[in-house]
Amino acid sequence: MELSGLSGEVILNTLRQIGPLIIFVIVGVVLLEFGLYLFFSRVVKTKHALPYTLLAPALIALILFMIYPLVFNVLLAFSDLKRSTFGCYSPISTGGCELDHLYGFDYAIKNFTDVFFRIRNGEIIGWGRLLRTADSTFPVLLLRSILWTTTNVIFHFSIGMGLALLMNQKIRFKGLYRALIVIPWAIPGVIVGLTWRQEFHAQYGFVNALITALGGQPVSWLDDPAAAFVAVTFVNIWLGVPFYMVMMLGGMQSIPADYYEAAEIDGANPRQKFLDITMPLLKPIIIPAVTLDVIWTFNKLDIIVLVTGGGPQESTNILVSALYNAAFGTAATSQFGFAAAFSIIIFLILFVFAIVWIVSSGGLKEIYER
Amino acid sequence: MTSKTAPQTLLTTLQGVIDNPRPVYDSGRRIGAVVCIIGGVLLTLTGSGVGFVFLGLWLGLLLWKPSHGILVIYSVISIYPVLRVISISLRPTSGLLSRSLDIIPPGASFNSFIQLFQEEQFLRWIWNSLTITLTVSVIGVVIASTGAYAFSRWRFPGRRPLLIFLLTTQMLPAGMLLIPIFVIVAQLNLTNSLVGLILAYTSTAVPFSVWILKGYYDTIPPDLEEAAMVDGCQRMEAFYRVILPLSTPALSIVFLFNFLAAWAEFIVAKVVLQANTVMTWPLGLNELIGTFNTDWGKYAAGSVLVTLPVLLLFMWQSKYLISGLTLGSVKG
Repeated sequence: MELSGLSGEVILNTLRQIGPLIIFVIVGVVLLEFGLYLFFSRVVKTKHALPYTLLAPALIALILFMIYPLVFNVLLAFSDLKRSTFGCYSPISTGGCELDHLYGFDYAIKNFTDVFFRIRNGEIIGWGRLLRTADSTFPVLLLRSILWTTTNVIFHFSIGMGLALLMNQKIRFKGLYRALIVIPWAIPGVIVGLTWRQEFHAQYGFVNALITALGGQPVSWLDDPAAAFVAVTFVNIWLGVPFYMVMMLGGMQSIPADYYEAAEIDGANPRQKFLDITMPLLKPIIIPAVTLDVIWTFNKLDIIVLVTGGGPQESTNILVSALYNAAFGTAATSQFGFAAAFSIIIFLILFVFAIVWIVSSGGLKEIYER
Repeated sequence: MTSKTAPQTLLTTLQGVIDNPRPVYDSGRRIGAVVCIIGGVLLTLTGSGVGFVFLGLWLGLLLWKPSHGILVIYSVISIYPVLRVISISLRPTSGLLSRSLDIIPPGASFNSFIQLFQEEQFLRWIWNSLTITLTVSVIGVVIASTGAYAFSRWRFPGRRPLLIFLLTTQMLPAGMLLIPIFVIVAQLNLTNSLVGLILAYTSTAVPFSVWILKGYYDTIPPDLEEAAMVDGCQRMEAFYRVILPLSTPALSIVFLFNFLAAWAEFIVAKVVLQANTVMTWPLGLNELIGTFNTDWGKYAAGSVLVTLPVLLLFMWQSKYLISGLTLGSVKG
């Protein structure tokens, strides 16, 4: 019997794939713990035997699924891996490989310079094209990423803060407002992206229907570069506001009411109360929230891929979506060596930003110092 | 102001007019509100549409009680796209491409839902997603629960760099892991298999779970285990008998967050599962929306079926979930 593609055979088949994996992991973890504990306490005789034992499964998972891929990514930047040379790099060699060496500095130099420059006959003739159009160059994408991140974070913060301030009063229906405003956060990202893409459709989407109903001119949202960027930014703002609202509201509710009462007795106006009590006391929440949001937004890939796909004419790509499109998406050149180099450069930009920001603001200090 | 009777309100307003100018502004707002509402109703009576009534009512509310006015409009912005999807899923096939803004479409039917089950492999997509997601969540919790405990209770050499590394993983651009994982999965010949995707998801689930759980263990006083150990428990017995049961909320939150993250994941799934033989529901719905045609109804029906359980869970337990998220990320 088959129902909507699901049959007994399909179920059995999946269980046959998944079952051994789960059993392997659980049995493996238990055996590993016992073995390692004996090893650490009897052979190495360290006083930290227990914590190291407890840590081992997580560490092994981290090494296998995080550190190994990252190291491999760096290695890829030193390779000439692309679709035509995939066989060369495969552990099961299929033969017929034309490369004389697999990894080398010459490849790395080419991969990294390709990100920035276009080179012909050993001379730089301009910025390198990361995608198909001549506009998709590194400085353009970097500026667009910065514009995207700052616009989003500013709107997320101000709208979220504003809503939290409104909800922090004595006001009716607080629970209802809160439940409704949090909804965008609860919807799966794919559905958010795909639905908004449909709703920005020039003919059938509700955005244009609303605009025409109110007497405006319909906008071809997804065909005009500027409008498409506005549309995709709007979607991401819509998506990010609940996080801030919840964070800020939680923070505000933990500020004792006495502070405000004391300030009122001293004749403080609402603006002073906000600037001199609320903001300073919220700082331990605001700084990590903004830090996380900057990182998340800078790396936000799915919304752009789903809503505009980076189009029209690759004009809504930011660095990370350009990376995705270059490796797998619209402009797929399958040059994985180049893409790996590109990803390392993006990471370095973010890393430098994070270090500077954290050091200057004391941002994530609370998080890791406990 | 809320619990006064009408004459009382009138009296205080009058008193206010005499005492100071602010209530004048207040009553001015009410007049404005009434004018807006009457205007909205009049516009509808002359045939200009229901939309204007809402606009009028809203302007009225905005003038009368600005806080409520703003919160109402933002709630509408939040929820309207969701209502739209539900509305489209109920449209009859003939009216799928209508431009109407009605929430309950004329001739509403469950046709799209039936088509989704009959013409697409919807249940199979859900089954694939479910098995992948459950496996990742189980593995994440099993592996992270003891590791996070070590981070929380012991100061051992290498603890700080490891914690900083865990934090740094949150900063990695998607492509930084996507490219090597794709190449590794392709080399292991695991594209188009569920196992490949599970391995890919585990890479992000583990650091996140460790982080959240460590934050939760930090809030449990060590005295508890010490008391258990005085009573004759071994250290690990104390962990399994005292700490783990106390951490059920955190363990279920980690399970749930890993579940939700993998449940709706699109990019990695698209890269790893390239052929159409094995699909998770995000890939399936993405196929449906490829072009603007009758599939829009099926897409909407699928979205409703996938989103509603998550949404209900979220609204029912939102306080709990949100406290869970902030637990590890902000309060440390």
